[in-house]
Amino acid sequence: MASFQEIRVALAGNPNCGKSSLFNGLTGARQKVGNFSGVTIEKYEGYVDYREYRIRFIDLPGTYSLTPYSPEELVTRKFLIEESPDVVVNVLEGPNLERNLLLTTQLMEMEVDLLVALNMYDEVEERGIEIDVKQLQRLLGCHIIPTSAKKKQGLDVLLDHVIRVYEGDIEIEKNKLGFRQGVESAIEEIAGLLALESELSTFSAHWLAIKLLENDREVYSLVKEYPVWVKVELVLQKAIKETGSLYKSDPEIIITEDRYAFIRGAMQECVRMPQEGRVSLTDHVDRIVLNRVLGLPIFFCIVWLIFHMTFTLGTPLMEGLDFLFGSFAAVVSPLLPNDTLRSVIVDGIIAGVGGVLIFLPNIILLFLGLSFLEASGYMARAAFVVDKVMHRFGLHGKSFIPMITGFGCSIPAIMATRTLKSRSDRLATIMIIPFMSCGAKLPVYILLAGAFFKPAVAANVMFGIYMLGVIIGLFSALIMKKTFLKSESEPFVMELPPYRWPTLTSVFFQSNIKAMMYVRKAGTVILFAVLLIWVVSNYPRNSALDGALEKQVAAIELSDAPLVEKQAAIIEAGDRVNARQLEYSIAGRAGKLMEPLIRPLGFDWRIGVALVTGLAAKEVVVSTMGTIYSLGKTGESSSELKTILKNDPAFGKATALSLMVFVLLYIPCVAAVGVMRKEIGNWQAIVLYSSYSMTVAWIFSFITYRLAQWVV
Amino acid sequence: MLLSELKVGDKAEVTGLLVESAVRRRILDMGLIKGTRFKVLRVAPLGDPVEIFFKGMYLTLRKSEAAGVLVTKIGESGDGEPMGGQRRRWKFGS
Repeated sequence: MASFQEIRVALAGNPNCGKSSLFNGLTGARQKVGNFSGVTIEKYEGYVDYREYRIRFIDLPGTYSLTPYSPEELVTRKFLIEESPDVVVNVLEGPNLERNLLLTTQLMEMEVDLLVALNMYDEVEERGIEIDVKQLQRLLGCHIIPTSAKKKQGLDVLLDHVIRVYEGDIEIEKNKLGFRQGVESAIEEIAGLLALESELSTFSAHWLAIKLLENDREVYSLVKEYPVWVKVELVLQKAIKETGSLYKSDPEIIITEDRYAFIRGAMQECVRMPQEGRVSLTDHVDRIVLNRVLGLPIFFCIVWLIFHMTFTLGTPLMEGLDFLFGSFAAVVSPLLPNDTLRSVIVDGIIAGVGGVLIFLPNIILLFLGLSFLEASGYMARAAFVVDKVMHRFGLHGKSFIPMITGFGCSIPAIMATRTLKSRSDRLATIMIIPFMSCGAKLPVYILLAGAFFKPAVAANVMFGIYMLGVIIGLFSALIMKKTFLKSESEPFVMELPPYRWPTLTSVFFQSNIKAMMYVRKAGTVILFAVLLIWVVSNYPRNSALDGALEKQVAAIELSDAPLVEKQAAIIEAGDRVNARQLEYSIAGRAGKLMEPLIRPLGFDWRIGVALVTGLAAKEVVVSTMGTIYSLGKTGESSSELKTILKNDPAFGKATALSLMVFVLLYIPCVAAVGVMRKEIGNWQAIVLYSSYSMTVAWIFSFITYRLAQWVV
Repeated sequence: MLLSELKVGDKAEVTGLLVESAVRRRILDMGLIKGTRFKVLRVAPLGDPVEIFFKGMYLTLRKSEAAGVLVTKIGESGDGEPMGGQRRRWKFGS
């Protein structure tokens, strides 16, 4: 096979310019997703073999500019400087050329090998916008290729030109933006000084000079390291003084204004907009969707729909998967020769990993919905509508959707915080998501509220629990943002992109990626944690119980009771043996050991064990209680957990309420913690978070228990 | 006056910025520079943030950020529609 020569091409462009669609159109399915180092910004890479080259595309995050304030911009800049791609393709949104050109001017300043893809050209033609491409090429100093990702037009021409740029076969001279008197001369002077510093020669001296005048903190700290700084600083101060007296302004503003002046000139020279009188689709839709009266109801309807779709369509699929894993376990189980091996594989691995993978349909459905909202342009509007409330608690409008999602499952919710750009907003949102009561906690409430309250009261109790979670979550966010997360909040200066019908491939692709990330998680951290919990609740073995079950079963078989009773007795005997073993295991001992700690909350060691095993998944609290409360019960007719609890003298309304509050607030399941760790990126935050949630859980359970004892 | 003091339907021109660092950079990058003319389209249902329209872009800002933008009002107040009679003279796209 012939070996291809590789060309590395970076795709840069504004958000919503159709860059991702173009990337998909160019590379097809030959792509992979990673992260840019150190940040959770997804990095998409793909390639296409074209002529004698393998052209590898890197899809950079969408940015308006290349300042060092947002992580996306930093990543884009760092990539362009450090990885120095062979060609940079700047994707422009054809119909909204003007505001897209700011990034282009900055790429020109970086003196990269630039090629412009004038995307959505079909829409340009449709709307009768005339663009003088030849003249624009001269002004931007690079080739401009009209493309349409949607209609797959111009893609081959673009690839041809990538090769031409790579081979240096270009006819268009590079162009430089000129700045105003005073600034331009300062740029030249500084660039001249920097050019003498050989270690800085990897950067364009011209670009560094502009950035210094723009007061760019990153470039500042870079250049400061070199002796040449002393001279540069003098020029900078002179320039600041000069622009101050000449224009009553500072170089940063003047440079931006001159870039826009260049853009305005280019627009006047090269673009003719049609005299259209029609009101665009976006205006029509927004008049209703962002209406002062209808805005909020519509928002809640859309959230409700997404939520409903995720959990009503997802639940049958989830049950189906659950059944599949169950059948798989039933098939595998007899094939395994050894009891311990069987227990590890069936009760440990299959049950544990299966218990995590069954959430996959929910995750895929939710992300289908969210990707659709994002790509259609509604997500930004949702943030606009609820920002005021969220801002009051120190959060961003975009935090709302992940929070709501948390009522279904924390895992997709935590993953959905990626739409938040500021790290402190993301951290705060991630950390309050587990307080939104997830679906797996519901069985616990149903059991306890159902056992101790009349149906009408039980519903109120459950509603109260949900509200408590929301309130504690919001105030936790407020506390976090007022203390250790107060540094950087995202300014709310946000574009509402025009509505567009998203391409199906990109929506599917997006949710597919999230699903794969989740599956990978289930295969590693979660598998390990699940095995650990299995070991903890099964070891050490109580040798006194060896053969105990068999003996009891044999005794029951021999008795002359009716068949139904025999079966019930066998199940009960099994539960009793399991409970003894659980009591003997590390989990059981841990439960007993921690009893003094949870006594004030009204819990005994049995609840302690359930809370430990509940770390695998919250609904496990119920099944563990089912096992453990069958302990010591002999000869009772009904072993239903609800009845057992009701009749247990140590268990009352106060304990039930306290336990519900504790389950609501304490550390989420290992799967959620694993995803949290992945998204936050370090363990310290997880440790901090765990201690916080445990403390909050303890305090509120304690208050609940005491209050309930007093009132009820 | 400040951008945050404008009412829905007002048209205005940016005359300067009062904010510093990240917020200023962000506002500059979105094209709100001296001389940019825009129209206030609407406020969010809860009264904050506001949405303005210029150069084919729908931009939203919190009132706290809008209070950092100096403006002067131009022309008559309109109706909150992005396509006023004046629009085509100084805006591109939609």
